[in-house]
Amino acid sequence: MKQEEFFSSRWSLIIAAIGIAVGTGNIWRFSRIVAQNGGGSFLIPWVIFLLVWSVPLIIAEFAIGKSTRYGPVGAIAKTAGKQFGWMGAFIVFVSTAIMFYYSVVTGWCLRYFISAITGDLFSTTKHLEYWTRFASSYQPLFYHFISMVFVAIVIYRGVSKGIEKVTKFMVPSLLVILLILFVRAVTLPKAIEGIKYFFTPHMDVILNYKVWLNALTQNAWDTGAGWGLILTYAIYMKKKEDISLNAALIGFGNNSVSLLAGITIFSTVFALSTSNAMQQISQAGPANTGLTFIYLPLLFSKISSHYIVNVIFASMFFIALFFAAITSLMSMVELTTRTLIDFGIKRGKAIILVASLGFLLGIPSAIDLNFLTNQDWVWGVGLIISGAFISFSIIRYGVDKFRTEIINGYGSDVKIGKWYNFIIGILIPIQVVLLVSWWLISSVSWDPEWWNPFHSANAGTCIFQWAVVLITFILLNKMMVNQTLKEND
Amino acid sequence: MNFITIITMLIVLGIIWGGMVFFLTRAIKYEKIKEENGQSEN
Repeated sequence: MKQEEFFSSRWSLIIAAIGIAVGTGNIWRFSRIVAQNGGGSFLIPWVIFLLVWSVPLIIAEFAIGKSTRYGPVGAIAKTAGKQFGWMGAFIVFVSTAIMFYYSVVTGWCLRYFISAITGDLFSTTKHLEYWTRFASSYQPLFYHFISMVFVAIVIYRGVSKGIEKVTKFMVPSLLVILLILFVRAVTLPKAIEGIKYFFTPHMDVILNYKVWLNALTQNAWDTGAGWGLILTYAIYMKKKEDISLNAALIGFGNNSVSLLAGITIFSTVFALSTSNAMQQISQAGPANTGLTFIYLPLLFSKISSHYIVNVIFASMFFIALFFAAITSLMSMVELTTRTLIDFGIKRGKAIILVASLGFLLGIPSAIDLNFLTNQDWVWGVGLIISGAFISFSIIRYGVDKFRTEIINGYGSDVKIGKWYNFIIGILIPIQVVLLVSWWLISSVSWDPEWWNPFHSANAGTCIFQWAVVLITFILLNKMMVNQTLKEND
Repeated sequence: MNFITIITMLIVLGIIWGGMVFFLTRAIKYEKIKEENGQSEN
């Protein structure tokens, strides 16, 4: 199948890819993890893992997508060999499973934006009750539906008329809003206390291996590296487009946004909190949303003595969160849609199928936070395996050949050196083994019945769900790969 | 703010924000060169 649709320019591609990378994880998870891991002590390994996990994997995804012009199933089959197409299917499944509940999360952001702009959010001071009332109602279902319909319309319109147009508006808007919030936050009295905590390293903490593993996890989860999403957008990049420089720009751009959001949140919480600021930032709360949906609304009501100013800042924060979420959700829906297109289904039919399934399979997460927490845990750790499969396919192809022929091939602005071979061939596999083992072993400490597959977050539920998916795709491998390659050759 | 905090802040912001600005300016430069060379194929 001849590739007929492309991003109109390098900048459109970069903006769309930043839309993938910048999600709610940059805004609410990053600040919480920094607080839980000793502020500045966390930032140092976090910078290092950007260089040895995120950027190399983003480069890999760009190169695989651009060179094969297939979604993950065909792309991995072409790169690693036909017998490994199931790895691509696993990558698709992980991002799709995340899409089911991420649409619910996107809906929460939309609902809170509406609550903020109408002033309803400030009608109470009991924000935990407010959140619980909302989460236990059928409203999350309604907003999940709205999010999925909006994204389906965008993806139906295709790359240039849909994804590109929407991200060109939302991503710059998100950055401008974050900048305005940043300026307001750092000029609040006592904001300096938050900034001090954010950047002060503690030597005893920095030597703790858990801080390093958390920093690696944060990079693995919030840059979008290894998810197969950037690989999918790379299908639509022009042949003349560069890979390495774009990948670096996206990785550094994503972490720049995390820093911007982190400084903003730390400054706000330290400046306005009357109780223990650290406790407020580091508490996970229900479905890890405590800081965003329970504590921040309370603080927004104290930004100024003018009600309208508080409404404006809270609305800006939640619309930024919504933009961050929906631009990431779009890429997840496009990934699944593209995989179906590779199977020979027309875009229109594929998007109806994906959006309908996305809505239906997101319902359990919309009505039950325990289910959402389970899926977040299982497929969040599963993403690390997706990263391993991308690294594996390059190793199978030949890392040096991949680097010299594809990454440094036609269109490249800068040439990547042999260091890349070491990172993809050795460092990424080591990081995968360490991370997956650590998360699964850690779950033993918080769940005595760690083997029970019906608990919400333990090793048993991960291994059970991964095994079901992996065995299914291994059995279907031949059919999936033949269908993909037959349709497109 | 103590010395170690300022140093950490400079290192982290320097690498991340500095890195982003560096890569952005390089991308602008190379894009200009490509435009001048008239590369437009898909």
